[in-house]
Amino acid sequence: MPKIKFKIVTPEKVVYENEIDQITLTTKMGEVTILPNHIPLVSSLKAGEILIKKDGQEIPLAVSGGFAELANNNLVILADTAERVEEIDEAQAEEARKRAEEFLKRRGQVAEEAVDYTALAAKLEKELARLKVVRKYRRNRPSQPTIRLEE
Amino acid sequence: MPQATRDIKRRIKSVRNTHKVTKAMEMVAAAKMRKAVSNVVATRSYSNLAWELVKNLARRTDSKYHPLLEKRDKIKKIGMVLITSNRGLCGGFNNQIIDRVTQYVRQQKEEGGIESDLVIMGKKGREAMLKKGHTIIAEFTKLDITNTIPEIRPLSNLIINDYLEGKYDQVMIAYTDFISTLVQKPRILELLPIEKREEDRYLGQAKTGKLETEKISEPKTPSIEFEYLFEPSADEVLGELLPRLLEMQIYQVILESDASEHSSRMVAMRNASDAAADMIDGLTLIFNKARQASITAELADISGGRIALE
Repeated sequence: MPKIKFKIVTPEKVVYENEIDQITLTTKMGEVTILPNHIPLVSSLKAGEILIKKDGQEIPLAVSGGFAELANNNLVILADTAERVEEIDEAQAEEARKRAEEFLKRRGQVAEEAVDYTALAAKLEKELARLKVVRKYRRNRPSQPTIRLEE
Repeated sequence: MPQATRDIKRRIKSVRNTHKVTKAMEMVAAAKMRKAVSNVVATRSYSNLAWELVKNLARRTDSKYHPLLEKRDKIKKIGMVLITSNRGLCGGFNNQIIDRVTQYVRQQKEEGGIESDLVIMGKKGREAMLKKGHTIIAEFTKLDITNTIPEIRPLSNLIINDYLEGKYDQVMIAYTDFISTLVQKPRILELLPIEKREEDRYLGQAKTGKLETEKISEPKTPSIEFEYLFEPSADEVLGELLPRLLEMQIYQVILESDASEHSSRMVAMRNASDAAADMIDGLTLIFNKARQASITAELADISGGRIALE
């Protein structure tokens, strides 16, 4: 079985790069799982979760929108932001979500131009995705770091 | 000769002041350079991959899906984006790119009768191009260090809209490619229409012979032809993706230019400081000689007087 050469980059850095067995993406149309030898695909991603499977291990990532391009078992994801679960600080993410919600609620009360609501909504979506990923993968296996990444 | 020593002393003092100024500017430029270089290096892999994706798409996708992919039959007018700095004292940085652009514009006009309009970022470019009598349709303020994509959005929106409206049939962007602190290369890159051109592939390692051959040998572009599947739909994906990635490319180009500007200023200022230090050394030597000469002359006078009295 061939593997997928996978690379995910954000404007800041290359987040993860490796050969993997399968990957699940959250696209605008819903979840898609890509196995090796998939036909060439270009898709835009929604804020959500990416789950990589490699040698029986699962590596979850939280992303906030971006694009994926797959051709000849080469998958490149251009994400706006992407984080590994262990990098996310749950308390901070919760905090950020609350702040974004707060702002959105006050819509109409403050001068309309002062706040960029589309940006805020996007931010809220991103924080929700982060929280979802972090809760899902932390609760199952508390305390110790379960995901060991091979560098 | 006290007159001579005084003059030399005054000169030493003025050179020393200049030295202080250039030294300070060098340090400021070095700090800015560090920031700009870390910015440019961080986004390089993203923007290179993004640009590759755009080129791949352009090659494999029917151009009917998005107006940005359509090729114009005849190029009648070029939109040229020129990125320069706001301030001088950075060696040949501005002149090189301005010369390149002037030459390019003239060549296009002479060979194909193609007119070019300029969109300028940076004060120096505006001054030079106004003097040369080119048409400038827009000018954007250049920030010292560009940090986020929204800062360049007005520029990218203008370019994309003008292209879509058919004002221009081709959009070029002229900037200085950052290769290393010591080497920067002025470059003119074709932005629109999106077309596959080998040399445009990598930013930050412009044509310097060796670098290029190493890069190109990467296993790339399989010979099998295929078409992409789009999800949700080609229209939707391309409509979102192309402007975003173009914007990214423009952003990267500006970052390259930032890094080049600050490094070339730092190098220019370091050269100036070194030259000033050399000059101080030379002048000090002359000063010492002149002083010694005047002392010797005085001594000769005194002893000459004594001998005359005896």
